[in-house]
Amino acid sequence: MTTAPWHHDRFAAMGTMVSLGVQLADDAWPAALAAAKAAFEELEARFSLYRPESELSHIADGSLTLPAASDELRDAYALAVRWRNETGGAFTPDRPDGVLDLNGVVKALAIEQVGAVIRAAGARNFSVNAGGDILYGGVDAAGEPWTTGITDPLDPDVLLTSVELFGEHRAIATSGFSERGQHIWLHGAGTGSFGLGDFSQVTVMATDIVAADALATAILAASDGRPAAFADLAGPHGAEVLAVTPDGAVYATPGIRSQITADS
Amino acid sequence: MQTYDPSAYFTHHQGKGFAVRVRAAIGAVVASGSILLVGWNVGQQSLANTLSSALPARPAPAPSAAAKPSATPSPVPTAMPTTVATPTAAPAPAAPVPAAPAPAAPAAGATDGTFTGSLTNTPYGTVQVSVTIAGGKITDVAALKLTDRGSQSASISRQVAPILKGEVLAAQSANVSNVSGGTYTTEGYLMSLQSALDQAHFTG
Repeated sequence: MTTAPWHHDRFAAMGTMVSLGVQLADDAWPAALAAAKAAFEELEARFSLYRPESELSHIADGSLTLPAASDELRDAYALAVRWRNETGGAFTPDRPDGVLDLNGVVKALAIEQVGAVIRAAGARNFSVNAGGDILYGGVDAAGEPWTTGITDPLDPDVLLTSVELFGEHRAIATSGFSERGQHIWLHGAGTGSFGLGDFSQVTVMATDIVAADALATAILAASDGRPAAFADLAGPHGAEVLAVTPDGAVYATPGIRSQITADS
Repeated sequence: MQTYDPSAYFTHHQGKGFAVRVRAAIGAVVASGSILLVGWNVGQQSLANTLSSALPARPAPAPSAAAKPSATPSPVPTAMPTTVATPTAAPAPAAPVPAAPAPAAPAAGATDGTFTGSLTNTPYGTVQVSVTIAGGKITDVAALKLTDRGSQSASISRQVAPILKGEVLAAQSANVSNVSGGTYTTEGYLMSLQSALDQAHFTG
């Protein structure tokens, strides 16, 4: 069996860039790439609040109610509500202004669908990166475990460190307060010892991209002045966390901690 | 959905022990001090209280009068009467002491020596740290005791300790395939960096 070549491509979607790296036979790549773009476009057309004609915009303007909405929209809403409950409300689809915003799960759903499309095309080794939220399959082009660079929130042009996927983890997502189009609303802002929030950037490694994305958002939003509280949110899902405070201190769960420090 | 087994999750590194030792670089006193104060604050029973009693904020200008050794580094500025720091080493004779400390101001000159914080209860157990001050600056912070509730708590304590930036291994960028970050969506940055990475890994 010959080794399939690696293909790379990028396209704009959901206000960010999507970067694909896929090891796949040449003749299967164009269709897989087209299907990946279609998956993002279909979800964006339904859920974008920047498109007045989208189904979610109709929910927001009151011309459509949830019971009359599509199965896809109600499924996404149910998923968002599930993660709201899993995180004690730290992650929520309800914007402070009352608008239902499902972006917190929709981008992750799109990444997940692209992963399914790529696998269905026959690829085992791949990465799907949408604005820094990444789903991985198999190993990288060198045959090694996938390694992700984590930017330094105090100096975004510099990588703070890098983390390697291990165990059953397949996804990495990062939330930060400087992220554009953020769907993060602080709870108890000003009550924590840091004022704005315990962390300025939170990276989560998990077994699936929806969990990684939701947990990263939740941990960033859950401001209780107790930086270590991320264990309460990540622990039940077996997720790994790397979090950076506004002061630049780094916190990490044991699996990541052992990777990024020399003496662990 | 996995079931949550706290022991499996938190005892990952219990074999490493819990002698966490965090070194603050000389010259990064203010920043490191604040990070450590925050970092060791593992609960409502703030360890920062222990530290704050042991850590005068900054050295005051050297007084002209002859310095007198002080066994009490500074007044305890917070409501934690049980946390009293005691120096375990004789203060250096030349340690700066404020000439006339205002009664209401807790600021005081840092006294050289190693100071052991009192045992402080936290939700994760009892914690005790020592702080070494030399030349009016924090040169070392060491955890003497991190909980007494067995390996699980010890691992939690180890986990919640902050990692100073200097201790984080730099990214081996040559091996990095993707980048994740809070500002990643900045168009130019994403385009240039990710495309460079894609090219680097376009091994065919």
